[in-house]
Amino acid sequence: MAIRPSSPSRTATSRTKTSRTAATRAGLAISGLTLTALILSGCAPAADNGGSSDPVAGGTLTYATGDAEPTCLDPHVGGNYPQALVATQYLESLVSLDASGAVIPWLATEWSEAEDGLSWDFTLRDNVTFTDGEPLNAAAVQANVAHVQDPATGSSTGYLALGKVTGVEAVSDTVVRFTLSAPDSALLESLSQPWVAMQSPAALERAKEVNCESPVGTGPFVVTEWDRQNSITLERNDDYTSPPADAADGDGPYLDSIVWRFVPDSATRYAALASGEVDVIDNAQPDALVAADDDDSLEELDAPRPGASNRLELNSGIAPFNDVAVREAFIRAANVNDGITSLFFGTAERSYSALSSVEPLGVSDPDLFDFDLEKSNELLDAAGWTERDADGYRVKDGERLTVTFPVSTNQSIPAEQSLFEQIQATTKEAGFDVVLEPGDLSTWYATLAANEYNVVSAPYTKVGPDVLRILYHSDGITPAPSGYFANLAQVNLPELDTLLTEASEVSDAEQRSQLYADAQQIVLDGFYILPLYDQQNHYLYNTAVEGLRAMPTVSTPTLAEAWLDR
Amino acid sequence: MTIVAASRVSPRRGGTGVRWLIGRLGGLLFVLWAAATLTFFALRLIPGDPAEALLGGPGSQASDEALAAAREEYGLNQPLWMQYLAQMGRYLLLDFGTSYSLREPVSSVIAEQFPGTLLLASLALALAWVLAITVAVWSARSGRIAGALGSALEVVAVALPHFWLATSLVLLFSTTLGWLPPISGRSPSGLVLPVITLAIPLAGFLGQVMRESLLNALSSPFAQSARTRGETATGVIWRHGLRHAALPAIGLSGWAFGTLVSGAVVVETVFARPGLGRTLLSAVQARDIPLVTGTVLVVALAYSLVTTLTDVLDRIADPRLRTEANA
Amino acid sequence: MKRPSVVETAPVVVLAFFVVSAVAPNLIAPGDPLAIDPLASFQAPSAGHPLGTDESGRDILTRIVHGAAPSLLIGVLATAIGVGLGLVLGIVGGLGPRWLDTTSTRFVEVLFAFPGLLLALLFIAIAGPGPVTSTIAVGLATAPGYARLVRSQVLSVRRSGYVEAALVLGHGWWRRLLRHILPNVTATLFVLVTLGVGQSIVWASSLSYLGLGVSPPAAEWGAMLNSGRTYVASFWWMTFFPGLAIVLSAAATTLLGRSLQSRVRSS
Repeated sequence: MAIRPSSPSRTATSRTKTSRTAATRAGLAISGLTLTALILSGCAPAADNGGSSDPVAGGTLTYATGDAEPTCLDPHVGGNYPQALVATQYLESLVSLDASGAVIPWLATEWSEAEDGLSWDFTLRDNVTFTDGEPLNAAAVQANVAHVQDPATGSSTGYLALGKVTGVEAVSDTVVRFTLSAPDSALLESLSQPWVAMQSPAALERAKEVNCESPVGTGPFVVTEWDRQNSITLERNDDYTSPPADAADGDGPYLDSIVWRFVPDSATRYAALASGEVDVIDNAQPDALVAADDDDSLEELDAPRPGASNRLELNSGIAPFNDVAVREAFIRAANVNDGITSLFFGTAERSYSALSSVEPLGVSDPDLFDFDLEKSNELLDAAGWTERDADGYRVKDGERLTVTFPVSTNQSIPAEQSLFEQIQATTKEAGFDVVLEPGDLSTWYATLAANEYNVVSAPYTKVGPDVLRILYHSDGITPAPSGYFANLAQVNLPELDTLLTEASEVSDAEQRSQLYADAQQIVLDGFYILPLYDQQNHYLYNTAVEGLRAMPTVSTPTLAEAWLDR
Repeated sequence: MTIVAASRVSPRRGGTGVRWLIGRLGGLLFVLWAAATLTFFALRLIPGDPAEALLGGPGSQASDEALAAAREEYGLNQPLWMQYLAQMGRYLLLDFGTSYSLREPVSSVIAEQFPGTLLLASLALALAWVLAITVAVWSARSGRIAGALGSALEVVAVALPHFWLATSLVLLFSTTLGWLPPISGRSPSGLVLPVITLAIPLAGFLGQVMRESLLNALSSPFAQSARTRGETATGVIWRHGLRHAALPAIGLSGWAFGTLVSGAVVVETVFARPGLGRTLLSAVQARDIPLVTGTVLVVALAYSLVTTLTDVLDRIADPRLRTEANA
Repeated sequence: MKRPSVVETAPVVVLAFFVVSAVAPNLIAPGDPLAIDPLASFQAPSAGHPLGTDESGRDILTRIVHGAAPSLLIGVLATAIGVGLGLVLGIVGGLGPRWLDTTSTRFVEVLFAFPGLLLALLFIAIAGPGPVTSTIAVGLATAPGYARLVRSQVLSVRRSGYVEAALVLGHGWWRRLLRHILPNVTATLFVLVTLGVGQSIVWASSLSYLGLGVSPPAAEWGAMLNSGRTYVASFWWMTFFPGLAIVLSAAATTLLGRSLQSRVRSS
């Protein structure tokens, strides 16, 4: 079966402030699918290419990131979001996605899946060279897959993405064949991610430390300097020839260079943008977004991350949440809508889905998450938590109804931490004693690995609904050697496993969609999760910046088509 | 002048000075060893796997093979005492190892980040002294109300947390007035706000300590007799009061240096300024044992040098300390 | 005895207010400091909420009053740990035999070699975050400073004329310590302790900024200051009033310490 990608279409995720407000006003009852459609249709591309002037080449753009400084600029190594953010500027993948989520050509022009689903052929673009002069050919792809799969590389995200790939062979110079251990309906989505982007095979052969400092790709910019804790300097790739199929027409990249600065403090980051010291910031906080609304020189780009929504996971593996009634009672007692409205100033939309609103296959079920204290109390009474102690918390057999909630202060923004406090306060009414345990990332992971949590919020970014398999297949309960496991709700249902495995192997789109819908309904009905909102990903930029857009893959901003109007 | 006086000590005393210095050096090595040892074991007590720091940080879904390879590469699969001995052995050869999280030799990370923090801390210390002396002298001269005002200023200054002061300064000087850049980077103009942020609380502290001893010194018999000899109030403050008042405050300089490094952790984060403080914070969070230990060693060394210097100053400012050494 | 002046009365009044707040907060502010009202968040000071509300609609006045106990406790306990350790190490170092001086000085220097915040970070990383650990962490972090100061004071006093005179008169070690050295050391220490309480609260709030302090919903001044900091540009009252509480309590203890000291001296 051959998949001919649809014709290139311009992706515009940039929304003007008016459209954001409109989307906010549209209300909370809209389900995920229609919400996606609304957001997409609300994406007036006006801000970017509606300007009267033509792109101007030249200039240096300063980007201030609030994400952690990567420890390695090669996203094959480890593989986290901070790496993806900056790597988007200098590395490219075999395929990309358009705004509707359809797979489109990038470094590969076309592809086909074998009848049995156990091998895929990719035809590579002609005449693409890496910035060190190496050609992009079948051997280069082979070297990249080998690099990701080599334990010495220490890849985790990319390694998982290529989990079913057992071999890569060069059919010809421009055709490369992937052999799989089982059919993989998520292969193309996986390959679109920056964590498996293509790098020069010659560069990959250098020492790990060297490649971490100056990875070599085919992208619009080249890493020239990395001043630790301060900035990365990127310069234009003058020989750039390989934009993804949805890129705007034009002869970019326009910018001479990019200074990629690390500014961890959110208030400082916004102050730097407002004073014109930097041109683009990421991780803009709700209060900054509101302040930017009143500033005519600032624009917003809202690009929720794909994969899972931001949600609380209720650990069904241990008491008290091994009882579905107690899980439902907790979810019914948590009043989050008011908190989201006030803490996020209308910049975040309540989610009722396990998946991000940018995932077309997401299923929403708002009725399951109605705030209903009375019902919560009834459920707890019926479940045997009938007594209350002097502090008003419920007690059963001398045990208090305690819910331990480790919070990662690196991952949860202040507004989110405040929301957790509000959940703590509202569930107290029903008799839950929620113990918030803020800690740094290492402590947080250690608590999870020790299975000493009852609730946790753990965002997970991956392109496509296959993230459900990672998060809710019972295989995800078995910890990796590092102690990490992705199925933090510890959902262990054979029928769900079957659905998820089947969905990851089926190639019929409709069937796949149905399987994922069924799987999501099981997760929602079982009260394993309390969805909050999409993984927030707001960028603010100076109006002088034109042509900035977010990649529809993992929502990282690309400056390939950006130029400065000043 | 005092330094000249100190160098005019008798040969016998000179010998004691050398012995004193050798003692200090021994003490310094001890401090470095103890600091390295303490850090090494403290970091092992922390939950979390150091091998993960090597593979994209905590929570990485690193495979068995990847973890094994990382442990092998960095010797993490050996028994703890072997790792400890190996690390101490490397330190003896001045090899600080390779940072887990940055994949760079620790020595080059420190060489890159230390000068910035040292500059920041030195300028802040200098500014703090200037502020503290100015306020103390001014309020000692100008009577009760000025004194109350001066100590009120100091009390408020001490009670300002760095992170809050920094944010407020950014709000005032960057956002509202537009005079100074909110992010510091490596530019000189970016140094102004971080230095002020660090200096103000420290000045309050130094001022408090100095004021107390300054008032004591000024009410002492020798200051009174100086006054009766017809010296001016300012002259008495400078010649007699401050010299005495500076003693406890000088003794605090080593401590002040430590708080400045602590403050740098916060200030460098707020102002996005590269430096050792930020390195330290992220290294602790990443369980990056070689980097934390290396940083601690450098700070320990710097601290020890500062204390040695203040002890020398102490001996100069208070001659009784010198004779004591011979007693 | 002369009548107390305004400078002497004001700190007593302020401290009395905070002590009453700490002991019986409901007398002053009967509300629940943790009661949220998301729809009334970020409200400026008004008749209903004299000091405004925070991001979850909690009443800031109520939180400051109820926060007096934990905040002052952190300040007092951390200072007690710091000064206690410092006093022992400093006196042992300043008065003991030479080898003891060397040992304790070395020990203090090793502790000192760790920047205070690192000591706190390491301790919290090992013991886990929380009010108790951050109190101990702050105490540990500040102890070397006190120790060094005490030692330098002890040395200075020991060499002063009257201690030498006491030595000539054949007074014993304990007598010298109690009669001559301690009173003189306490003079400086008093200022330090009174300063230390405010300082410790500030330190604890810095730990909160780094995400390692007191758990956020708890009404503690440092934590309140930290959570308000995010919103300092738009909602000043969230940081101003908790900050004022810290400054007032620190200033009051310092001034009280001073006037007590001068009374002791003049009597």
